[in-house]
Amino acid sequence: MAFEKNLDKAKEKAKKVKLFVHDVHGVLTPNTFFCDIEGKRRYAFWHMDGFGDLSLTANGIQIAFLDTTSIDEEGLFRARELKLDKFYYKVKDKVAKLEELKKELGIGDENVSYIGCEITDLKVMKMAGFAVATADAIDEVKEIADYITVAPGGRGPIREICEFILRAMGRWEEWVEKVTKMGYK
Amino acid sequence: MVNRDIAIEKAKKVKFVILDIHGILTDNTLYYTDDGKKSECFSLHDRLGCKAMIEAGIGVAFLTSKISRADEQVGHIYGVPPERLWGTSAKVGKLDEFEKESGFKDEDLSYVGDEMIDLGVMKRVGFSAAPSDGAIEAKAVAHYITLAVGGKGVVREVAEFILRAQGKWEAVVEKISKSD
Repeated sequence: MAFEKNLDKAKEKAKKVKLFVHDVHGVLTPNTFFCDIEGKRRYAFWHMDGFGDLSLTANGIQIAFLDTTSIDEEGLFRARELKLDKFYYKVKDKVAKLEELKKELGIGDENVSYIGCEITDLKVMKMAGFAVATADAIDEVKEIADYITVAPGGRGPIREICEFILRAMGRWEEWVEKVTKMGYK
Repeated sequence: MVNRDIAIEKAKKVKFVILDIHGILTDNTLYYTDDGKKSECFSLHDRLGCKAMIEAGIGVAFLTSKISRADEQVGHIYGVPPERLWGTSAKVGKLDEFEKESGFKDEDLSYVGDEMIDLGVMKRVGFSAAPSDGAIEAKAVAHYITLAVGGKGVVREVAEFILRAQGKWEAVVEKISKSD
């Protein structure tokens, strides 16, 4: 089903974001895993999503991984590689965890962005000021989202949202120029 | 807008090619195993591309935010020496530094990139190329857009384009097919 979203409204919401939260499977990965005949498992992530997360943290927006369905610690490896410290592993109650995070950071619902793809994301997405669905999210998720990414899970949705948020804030061009001249640090 | 004649003229002058890794040599995907090892998927077509350029006297370097052990291994397999595996996200800064120490000018250089962070370098170099699945912004500034998508022979295609423009392709292919 096609869902129409109001881009201007989404931009206004994106401007207020101080915390960007994402799940691991279906967002950072295409919701698949490879399993070889010896039982070793392998998960696909998208290189430029890392750039997205690092771009937001460099611009003062916090990132949190809220992981519920991991089989192994694949999301943790990814978060560690990106040096992101807010990684919550096998979280049973996403809403409670998000409430906790909001309190810790002293921010409100309007400052939270969440990107999801499944029915397990619906409650937190309704809470978040700027809710995003991946291109291949299920319809219920897309319906309540403020914005739907062009990229499906595991193919760059984080990179896309990072650009969307920083553009809405008017910081994107400056950031890209800065990072290509001086690097991340 | 890509103009083939202009691209050929620009490719004729290329003496050194700088390659972005993710999205060019790979399709942008990173694989993590259950015990935390990271891996990436490369194309052997690109190995031929790199070898052909090096054989023809065109230098090749990789430029990415961080050189992984996989990238080192690929460099080794493709014939790119360790000192030409450049790990920095300050890509424009690296270009300045390299031009200073090598004496190459912008028009002697080629860069293959697919993303916003490649734009600074792509706008500077004499001949820039982007893969067909690159970011719109990268394709907009590229002199040449490959038919191949990232990870599926982009470098081979660029190498053939440059070497054909310089009239070196046939000879290089013959040499490589004897030695390989």
